[in-house]
Amino acid sequence: MTGLILQQAVNALTIGAIYALIALGYTMVYGVLRLINFAHGEMFMLGAYAALIFVIFLFPHGAGLFGALFIFIGAFIAIGLIGVAIERAAYKPLRHSSRLAPMLSSLGISLALQAAVQLVAGPQPIGFATLFPAIHLQFAGANITTVQIGIILCALLLMFALNRFVSSTRLGINVRAVSENMRTAQLLGIDIDKAISLIFFIGPGLGAIAGILYASYYGVMTPTMGVIVGLKAFTAAILGGIGSIPGAMIGGFVLGFLEVFGTAMLPILTDGYLGTEYRDIFAFAALILVLLFKPSGLLGERVSEETMVYKRDF
Amino acid sequence: MSAVSSSATKAPATSTKVVGFALILAAVVLAACVPFMPNYYVRVLDSILIYVLLGMGLNIVIGYAGLLDLGFVAFYAIGAYTYALLASPMFDLHLPFLVIVLIACVLGAIAGILLGIPVLRLRGDYLAIVTLGFGEIIRVLINNADRVTNGPKGIAAIDRINLFGLTISTPKDIFWLLLVTCILVGIVVWRLQNSILGKAWMAIREDQDAARGIGINTTNAKLAAFSISAVIGSIAGVIFAAFQRFVSPESFTFHESVLIVLIIVIGGVGNILGVIAGAFILILLPELLRDYAEYRMLLLGLLMAVLIIVRPHGLVPRSFTPASLFSWLRFR
Amino acid sequence: MKRTIAGIVAALLLTAGAQAEELGVGAAAPITGPQAYFGTTLQNGMRMYFDEVNAAGGINGNTFVFHGEDDKADPREGTLVAQKFCDDDSIVAVLAHFNSGVALPALPIYSDCGMPQINIASNPAITQQGFEHIVRPIANDFAQAGFPAQYARETLKAEKAAVVHDKQAFGQGVAEIFSDNFTKAGGTVTSTSSVNPTDVDFTALITQLKGQQPDVVYLGAVMPQLALFAKQMKEQGLNARLIVPDGGYTPDLISQAGKDAAQGVLVSFQVPPMDSTEALKKFAADYKAKFGQDVGAYSVYGYVAAQVLGEAVKLAEEPTREGILAVLHDVKFDSALGPIEFTPEGELTTAPIFLYEVKDDGFVLAGKSGS
Repeated sequence: MTGLILQQAVNALTIGAIYALIALGYTMVYGVLRLINFAHGEMFMLGAYAALIFVIFLFPHGAGLFGALFIFIGAFIAIGLIGVAIERAAYKPLRHSSRLAPMLSSLGISLALQAAVQLVAGPQPIGFATLFPAIHLQFAGANITTVQIGIILCALLLMFALNRFVSSTRLGINVRAVSENMRTAQLLGIDIDKAISLIFFIGPGLGAIAGILYASYYGVMTPTMGVIVGLKAFTAAILGGIGSIPGAMIGGFVLGFLEVFGTAMLPILTDGYLGTEYRDIFAFAALILVLLFKPSGLLGERVSEETMVYKRDF
Repeated sequence: MSAVSSSATKAPATSTKVVGFALILAAVVLAACVPFMPNYYVRVLDSILIYVLLGMGLNIVIGYAGLLDLGFVAFYAIGAYTYALLASPMFDLHLPFLVIVLIACVLGAIAGILLGIPVLRLRGDYLAIVTLGFGEIIRVLINNADRVTNGPKGIAAIDRINLFGLTISTPKDIFWLLLVTCILVGIVVWRLQNSILGKAWMAIREDQDAARGIGINTTNAKLAAFSISAVIGSIAGVIFAAFQRFVSPESFTFHESVLIVLIIVIGGVGNILGVIAGAFILILLPELLRDYAEYRMLLLGLLMAVLIIVRPHGLVPRSFTPASLFSWLRFR
Repeated sequence: MKRTIAGIVAALLLTAGAQAEELGVGAAAPITGPQAYFGTTLQNGMRMYFDEVNAAGGINGNTFVFHGEDDKADPREGTLVAQKFCDDDSIVAVLAHFNSGVALPALPIYSDCGMPQINIASNPAITQQGFEHIVRPIANDFAQAGFPAQYARETLKAEKAAVVHDKQAFGQGVAEIFSDNFTKAGGTVTSTSSVNPTDVDFTALITQLKGQQPDVVYLGAVMPQLALFAKQMKEQGLNARLIVPDGGYTPDLISQAGKDAAQGVLVSFQVPPMDSTEALKKFAADYKAKFGQDVGAYSVYGYVAAQVLGEAVKLAEEPTREGILAVLHDVKFDSALGPIEFTPEGELTTAPIFLYEVKDDGFVLAGKSGS
């Protein structure tokens, strides 16, 4: 039984780490622009495809450690730049219009990106060899792979780096200032466009890494893989308190645990009456409850209505 | 964005008059042509009208009360399944159409209030996410309650509509039914817009605290918005089920909710004519792009983004309302 | 595969005076969206047949014009496409749809305009609605899942089966039929679980199943879920035989699950081994040459559906909707899927199901129904 619980905990940590990495992108963009970036799930998908391109053209005979590092950094930069370009083209012109407009614009971009990848790479699922050496470890009755450990470590490392970046570098402090209050930051001489571009570089970059980790873990990628994962990661961001960076990380892990243990426990708790198919209801119901009793999420600051509505919805 | 409140009494510009007159003429000609059209075109028109209905319903919550609802498909599903369960071999019930419409309206209203109560405190994006969750919950429930809804297999062989001894089943019959329903709902919505309740909604949209300050009961006004919009969505669902004669959970995805929001935003928020324009664009375009099968979604996505960037407030200006059209026609 | 029969020669002589024309064929399947892969490979199979026939000068001089449409796997879009085909007088038959949920609302539309429909969706309900314009040249879910249950009990001597499905019309349909047959044959179904069609992570569920110690696991779903499930079963150390429906009959199952994990997975499919006949070998090679990718799981189904239409045109007095409809149920020939012959409802009289086992890098025949 302990083995079973340990096993499920590692499963939850793995998927939670991936959710957390994607949730960071949602949360950072939301913190600055109050925008739900629907195209963020596609950044995650593009990351996996970028890694595939690198593997095919640069490392056809296996990547090795150095190669894997190169793929991670390369994909981060490539998808980060795509993120910046999308912001410039599709969101910047709408920065002063209603809140709904950029959100729907991002939805259009999301559809277009999916269709574009489907045209180029084909609609079929493509297999992807893991970038980590896959060794099975037996541990107290649990079966853990080095891939899972690699994913968890990789995600934790990136989160730590991001935290250091926003708390103690000049650029990071600028970003925080802009998300705190854009107008004041502007008055203080901070270049807003630069800060927003930086966010649209880091968020998609992290999303791309999550995409590679995900493809490594499951061994497969499809043009539509970003849709449902993106929605779940966004849920994680809300759970943690949207706009809060540590919140997104915690939210990701919480959602991972909710999902895994929801799947495992739901049939047991309800005596088989509610099967695993009710898991998503479970996740959404948990989300709704959190929002009703703590509208700002687990770690979000107390948002009063005045600050929420500094920008009209329509 | 400055608070542009649409005033129905503003005299429209000459160009608006010309456009408006052309539109009315086009609509009349289109309706007159329906009996002579191939069925495929009529079916597309039927689809458009169903979305006009849905758009008008959602517009009450989004456009008038300023509450972003991303789970509107839930009410559409409730209406469709009400008809499917009460007029099919599933439970061998075959209730008359109008009775089912009444039941669907009541169920829709209840569902609207049920959704409305918990979200009263929320605004903006949080509200959007909770409503999104509500839509998904309804869909998953329908998909999983096999004993009642037949689960993912859906309900087939649904009865045709029988109204006063007339059987309504061909696309052309359904077109007239939808047209009459749209006109009735349109009149109701338009009257609402200019009623005390409509004014209260707009006050909430502009500034909730101020609205509360002048004595508007925001709780009741919001619940009214949710339930009225839910009833309209439910009616659209009933007609959809009777028209398709088959329902399954696949028809009620999040994507559908988004499509209805897009119809409103691309057409013009808070404007009935905008909804009609939006529905025409978003349902016709994919049909026109059929020949580019694989490029269809790419073009549609890019076009969506471009339309919103070029006209963030929708294609139809707020001042361009049925009211301004009618006043102009009267003073000609 | 040009088998000339004396009857056809006679028909040729009779209709030699008839005007040869271009016959439109409508086909609808998901070409965009998550199921695009199934739809495109299916329609490619159809295209292959019509191109071959046209290159050979057509049937009775009639050539085919193929109209491949996208129904997005959405019931509403499906009805629009159906109506479009109906209104187009040049179209004499349709090969549609891929999804049962799209096929059902489209049935009355085709029926109303007298359109012969050759259907690829597998839900048994489709032929039970009393429509007479439809045939299904593939096995329905009853055949697809009945035999694996029998095989699991009799050959594998399995006592306990865990059933998993994706809560979709197809997946749940075959899973239920498997469960019924397995219990009837004296086995025990330890649990029935469902996953979401978008899920890729089954580790939690598999860990749960481990506790039940099933002998076999039946998974009613489609690719890539089949491969992911096989992979994660191996990773989590669940040592039961995995049985999956026809979507798994593709090299992707082995490449995506990993060779180790795929070993021993049983896949039900209606086609004799791809390398068992020259025709099938040639089909796979031609397909690759034409479309630059490997044959998809449903490509052969598409080819055979198109073949059924070709045979019906051979039999028909006039290559029109009425003419084809009159002979649709009389079509009888040997196809890549085996002998094709229809019951009055439009189902195959015999739908042999083959069960394949993954061995090394390929599929090896493990059993055949009715034998």
